[in-house]
Amino acid sequence: MIKLLVWYGELTTRKNLAKRGLLFLGAGMLWLMVFLVLPGLVLIGVSFATRGAYGELVWEFTLENYKRMAGFSLFGWTADYIMILWRSVWVAFVTTLISVVLSYPLSFFICARPERTRYFWLTLVIIPFWTNMVIRTYAWFLILAPELPLAKIAAFFGLIPQSAPLYPNAFAVYLGMVSMFLPFVTLPLYASVERLDWALVEAAQDLYASKVRVFTQAILPQTMPGLSVGIILTFVPAMGMFVVPDLLGGAKYMLVGNLIQQQFGASRDWPFGAAISMGLMVLTMISLQLYRRRSKEIEFV
Amino acid sequence: MKKLFLVWGILSIVFGGTAFGAEKELKIFIWSEYMDEENMPKEFENATGIKVRLDLYESNEEMMAKLQAGGVSQYDIIVPSDYIMPSLINLKLIQPLDHSKIPNLKNLGAKFKETSFDPGNKYAVGWQWGTVGLMYRKDRIRDADVQSWAIIFDPEKDPGPFALIDSVREMMGIALLYLGYDFNSIEPKELKAAADLLIQTKKRNTCLGFKGGVGGKNDVVAGAAAAAIVYNGDAIQAIAEDPKNLGFVVPKEGSEIWLDSMCIPAEAPNPDAAHKWINWILDPKVNASLTNYNHFATPNEAAMPYLDKEDLENPGVWPTPEIMKTLVFTKDLGKDNRIMDEAWTRAKSH
Amino acid sequence: MRKSHPLIIAVAMFTLGFLYLPLVAVAVFSVNATRYGLVWRGFTLDWYLKLCQNEFILNAAWNTLVLAVVSTVAATILGTVLAIGMDRFPWGRKANTSLDLVLHIPVVIPDIILAAALVVAFGLLRVVSSLFEPGLLNMIIGHITFQISFVALVVRSRLVSIGRDVEEVARDLFASTPYVLRRVTIPLLLPGIVAGAMLAFTLSLDDFVISFFTAGPESVTLPLFIFAAVRRGVTPQIHALSTLVVLITVILIVGMERFTRK
Repeated sequence: MIKLLVWYGELTTRKNLAKRGLLFLGAGMLWLMVFLVLPGLVLIGVSFATRGAYGELVWEFTLENYKRMAGFSLFGWTADYIMILWRSVWVAFVTTLISVVLSYPLSFFICARPERTRYFWLTLVIIPFWTNMVIRTYAWFLILAPELPLAKIAAFFGLIPQSAPLYPNAFAVYLGMVSMFLPFVTLPLYASVERLDWALVEAAQDLYASKVRVFTQAILPQTMPGLSVGIILTFVPAMGMFVVPDLLGGAKYMLVGNLIQQQFGASRDWPFGAAISMGLMVLTMISLQLYRRRSKEIEFV
Repeated sequence: MKKLFLVWGILSIVFGGTAFGAEKELKIFIWSEYMDEENMPKEFENATGIKVRLDLYESNEEMMAKLQAGGVSQYDIIVPSDYIMPSLINLKLIQPLDHSKIPNLKNLGAKFKETSFDPGNKYAVGWQWGTVGLMYRKDRIRDADVQSWAIIFDPEKDPGPFALIDSVREMMGIALLYLGYDFNSIEPKELKAAADLLIQTKKRNTCLGFKGGVGGKNDVVAGAAAAAIVYNGDAIQAIAEDPKNLGFVVPKEGSEIWLDSMCIPAEAPNPDAAHKWINWILDPKVNASLTNYNHFATPNEAAMPYLDKEDLENPGVWPTPEIMKTLVFTKDLGKDNRIMDEAWTRAKSH
Repeated sequence: MRKSHPLIIAVAMFTLGFLYLPLVAVAVFSVNATRYGLVWRGFTLDWYLKLCQNEFILNAAWNTLVLAVVSTVAATILGTVLAIGMDRFPWGRKANTSLDLVLHIPVVIPDIILAAALVVAFGLLRVVSSLFEPGLLNMIIGHITFQISFVALVVRSRLVSIGRDVEEVARDLFASTPYVLRRVTIPLLLPGIVAGAMLAFTLSLDDFVISFFTAGPESVTLPLFIFAAVRRGVTPQIHALSTLVVLITVILIVGMERFTRK
């Protein structure tokens, strides 16, 4: 007895469907397997390999790369690499936080515009979003240059020496990161804010709730879907960012992205680079798990 | 279907184009601003009919990384420094030269025909040699202050914004010399001290971080930095345009002396053209025009009569015997390269 | 329509200003008649003229375009087919979640990890075949890999919103599978496919990290070129180039908006 089923109006067997389905899935999945999954596995493998004397890859199993990441270098124990991983998480966190804080007013503002002009304001947000990140980052060189007011003010307060530019330092990196990721939060958040039921907000206000409570109880839960998408789209890439810290942080404020890039570049230490990438991967997984757990809670709002 | 044809069409244009050009093209991988990048390739093309394609790097390690990641079959000429030659030879990344195609080899000075890293010019032909030193703005720092590396490393001194050089052996070596150690030391304690010195130095708010030699030089010229560690020729090039405000010095603790050579990668696409280039560069007049442009010192004896008098008399370009005594050649460390690299990663990541 | 609190308006304006400050600065200094420093010395279009004569830049622009077009076309085809394969067939729950997971990987992981994996993979593949030299082919492969996911996700959400009804009706009317695909599914899907393709195209144009790790000597793209130049010292020519790129982006976006609004 061949089991038949009706699928999308078609009377057929499961096997037939499976065969056809594989045909469709085949090319795409094959590609992802070969160029995504396999390289990923190879990367994990390389993280257990050794670096030869001249920077070449030697296939000798070793746990040294991970030991080194945990701090056991040739110079005694240092917390350097753990510091860098931690610093990347922190920078990603602060960037996301500031972006969220700035995105809410922006979304409210755009929502309050009449329907016709909303597209215009949205486009204004989208344009920097699509502009190349290298351009957006190096442009800060100009704004933070010694001749312009920002640097002069900082010099006046003794924060930086006279006639020095206001980079490379942590502040410049944060500026660059926030300006880079702000649209990533604003656009999904706006999608949620647009669907906001203002009646609920008004109800809260009518019940004499403080401004803070109005926000946390009436607005925040409703905008959660958009907000959480925005957060995850910002936090994870921000952790692995290397263009912004490289240009605006110099070698003074190293993040995990720079460290990885250095190992695949001038340091020619692929195994160590792979190990650090794994470390970053673990951090990513943890963030995604936290996100999944919270978004499950959201379903019930 | 139409989309597929479009894809194929584009692919064949992209790859077909490159296949046709291979015969008459020379791909050079070289330090940035090391020659007149606009005119010199054109002159070579006029002389031989071969088109030149330039790709630039800022440090030997960057070049090595590119070679090891596949560049060995994509470039015809590379210009490595002396200390990295053993690595290149060991990893079989470069090929022996065919001297019959380089008659002008006789123009090299005797010292450069029997170098320690490549006696008999088996793999390399000298390109230029020079030093690393401190370039500074005369309107911000006094000449007297830059005679020692202390201007950079001593926290008490305030040179204004300054840049360190983003090159592991040179920067670590200078830090080691300042601390009184050997430029080529591999003692973990000494390397750690040097790395820590670099960490302290870069943390000062006047430090602009690590930059390539050319980047640092451009910063000083633009006024964004008051001092930078740079290659001598780059500095002299800039000083030639603004002698009143710019200066260069090799501080008294000493520094590196280096020799860059032309080599041909093992799987170069067009070794014939590469040999032609090497021979052409060795021509006295061509070599002189190169040297007069980039203000480094040339290993080519036959070119000496054609050099600018100013450069010949400039101790920044042709160091005096006293300065020579303080200059050290970088040595290849073999398997000990690893501890040097780890010290550098430590200096950069802290 | 609610009236906004003045504070909200102020913060919103500040945020927008903050977003545009860098771009405006670049545009302003691209017409400044001085090579070094930032003192205003007069208006000039010199730098733009020099751009057009710069062979490196024209080469980089061409590479960027070829890379984007080729990878977008391939990724759109692969991604669309993949999306149809995932959504329109009865796979078990386990299969569905693992397919979903694999699809989401390029979207969620930091692209530097993907780039590192590609470098390592290409390094090994190079031993087998010289096709995998760093260069345009590697870059195209890298771009397609992350583009497929984005296209598939966009197309799939469109598939979900189309629903089953139309196709069921077509089947009831004795349509064959190829017919359903060609005449029903794809036409309905077209806006999704186009959206996915545009997304993929912009992602490729803008990409820096993957390109950085897979580029060869002849396949420098505009973002790579600007990055390398910036590290050596910014020149007004770079400002001019950047301003042009921003302008082209604006034109593309406005064009996209017009197109999708129809």
